[in-house]
Amino acid sequence: MTRQDLIGLFRKMATEIAEKDFSHVGEEQKIAELGIDSLGMLELVGAMERELEVQIPDEQLVGIQTVKQLLDLVEKRVQ
Amino acid sequence: MTGYPTTLVEALDRLPGSANADGSLRGFRFLTTDREDRFYTYADLRAEAHRRAAILASHGLSKGDTVALVCPENHEFVLTFLGASVGGFVPVPIFPGATFKASDHYLDTLEHIVVAARSKVIVCITKNLEVIEKLKERAATKDLIVLAADRDFAGDAPAFTAPTVTPDDLCFLQFTSGSTNKPKGVAIKHRNLVANTTAFLGPDGLARTREDVGVSWLPLFHDMGLIGFVLGTLIVDLPVVLFQTSTFVRMPRLWLELITKHKGTITYAPNFAFDLLTKRVTEKDLATLDLSSLRVAGCGAEPIRARTLTDFAAKFAKCGFDSKALLPSYGMAESCLAITFHQRGTEMIVDKVDAAEMRKGKAVPSDAADALELVSCGVPFPGHELAIVDEHGNAVGERVVGQILSKGPSVNEGYFENAEATAESFKDGWLYSGDLGYRADGNVFVCGRVKDLIIVNGANHYPQDIEWVVGDLEGVRRGNVVAFSVMKDGLEALVIAAEGNSGDAARLKTDIARVVSETFGLTPAHVAICPVGALPKTSSGKAQRRKSKAMWESKELEEHP
Repeated sequence: MTRQDLIGLFRKMATEIAEKDFSHVGEEQKIAELGIDSLGMLELVGAMERELEVQIPDEQLVGIQTVKQLLDLVEKRVQ
Repeated sequence: MTGYPTTLVEALDRLPGSANADGSLRGFRFLTTDREDRFYTYADLRAEAHRRAAILASHGLSKGDTVALVCPENHEFVLTFLGASVGGFVPVPIFPGATFKASDHYLDTLEHIVVAARSKVIVCITKNLEVIEKLKERAATKDLIVLAADRDFAGDAPAFTAPTVTPDDLCFLQFTSGSTNKPKGVAIKHRNLVANTTAFLGPDGLARTREDVGVSWLPLFHDMGLIGFVLGTLIVDLPVVLFQTSTFVRMPRLWLELITKHKGTITYAPNFAFDLLTKRVTEKDLATLDLSSLRVAGCGAEPIRARTLTDFAAKFAKCGFDSKALLPSYGMAESCLAITFHQRGTEMIVDKVDAAEMRKGKAVPSDAADALELVSCGVPFPGHELAIVDEHGNAVGERVVGQILSKGPSVNEGYFENAEATAESFKDGWLYSGDLGYRADGNVFVCGRVKDLIIVNGANHYPQDIEWVVGDLEGVRRGNVVAFSVMKDGLEALVIAAEGNSGDAARLKTDIARVVSETFGLTPAHVAICPVGALPKTSSGKAQRRKSKAMWESKELEEHP
């Protein structure tokens, strides 16, 4: 799975969950500024976990703010 | 043996080791935070509870001592709770915090509960041990014994003779959350627990059968998850499948997938969860779900919206969901859990009433397009009484709104070592719920809270009605909006606070003021658009009205310019 695939997946899932068009969101974007609150963020993580068949423990999500930070974390678990 | 057990401990002793018709053993299934499947037969639960009782006792606990329980792992929570019960100790379940950060606010709440409950021992798991250990840095809790369930219950247990536990012994303390007040510990005795659970799971409630399977993701530190799916189910021998609230939050569909997989017959959730599933499940997902086994889909713990439930039933009819499974319920911790239930196996009852008359406290039937839709929560259980009274305590008539009172064996005697709070809510055997409702054709309809009522120009407005309407606007997320009244020049004035993006703030202010004016004829004195996450939330993620109000009044509530 390439970084391009990952951000593509993020955009797709975020669009589904927030019901807004996020097809152009970049990596430096802060997730909270997308109008996605902490519950929405967890659902987003869950959607990616399901799709990629990985698990990300709650404690690793502490302090995640940007799309990049989240994708780094996901990328590490996929490998 | 006939009849129900008289205590939780007796229930555990009595649970059958006998197998089901297909040879499988009865017990509790847990999906852990690591998403592993763990099955404990009743015999396993019993043995492990006895072991944990002995280990807890070895830390110097005596019968009646409380044990604080902060376990974000369901099987550890259940086994430790039961261990404490067998030992004659009194478990005190506490919210484990949404993250693993030790914020001062969270530690303050923990300290308050541990001190109020006089707990000498607190049990957590290794994952939140670091946070819990911080309590030892505080003067009031420096001598607290901190145990990690997954670490400190290993190995052989010392010899221990369990004491006799009677129906009049305390079973556990349920600390209530959700208000600006310090949480109060509802003191539940074994006899209250048995009275309530056998009422709502017995023939006049859900009518449990041997074939039933409960499926739940509800948190175990709240009454609906703890009593509904752990303690009550043990008392009547009803096997359950439990998974973590944190897993549900990430994968809401898993709820229905587990019902499909385990042929679940009984489940419960607050209104928001039904809304969420209706939104999230795609046509493709529907094909993989089978909800035909479900005979009770209960809804409670927060205001129930008719449309949420009818939309859910319509969407999932394709998977065999029967709309008669929908079971709106009303209750509170001070009555253990349940106060009234809609009649099982019948279609939900919706009362359409005139909005203007409701503001005067009267539920007048209406067919108008803007009529309010209220959902019946049914009738009280046999042996229990219900009354609806005005502010002077006098009973009101049919279709008149008043405070809901409850009386009977489920109602406990008060808050743990808190005479002042007890005197406020318990009078002459009646529990003053603080909830507003009315009765029509014998059914109870709940429509708000006594203290949150917004009265402007002599008209009563229920904040949740305003919040629902605002929550429907583009850019506002339901649950992240609060409406409350403040005193301005000696008059009540309406304030609405909603979370939203800074870019949307100007538009949202206009939209909210417009929709509130159109719908309720009210002009908000102020509309605050707050950054996402700025509104204080309850442990279940609902925006807290009273706390938001306090913050707004003290100018602490952050808002976009």
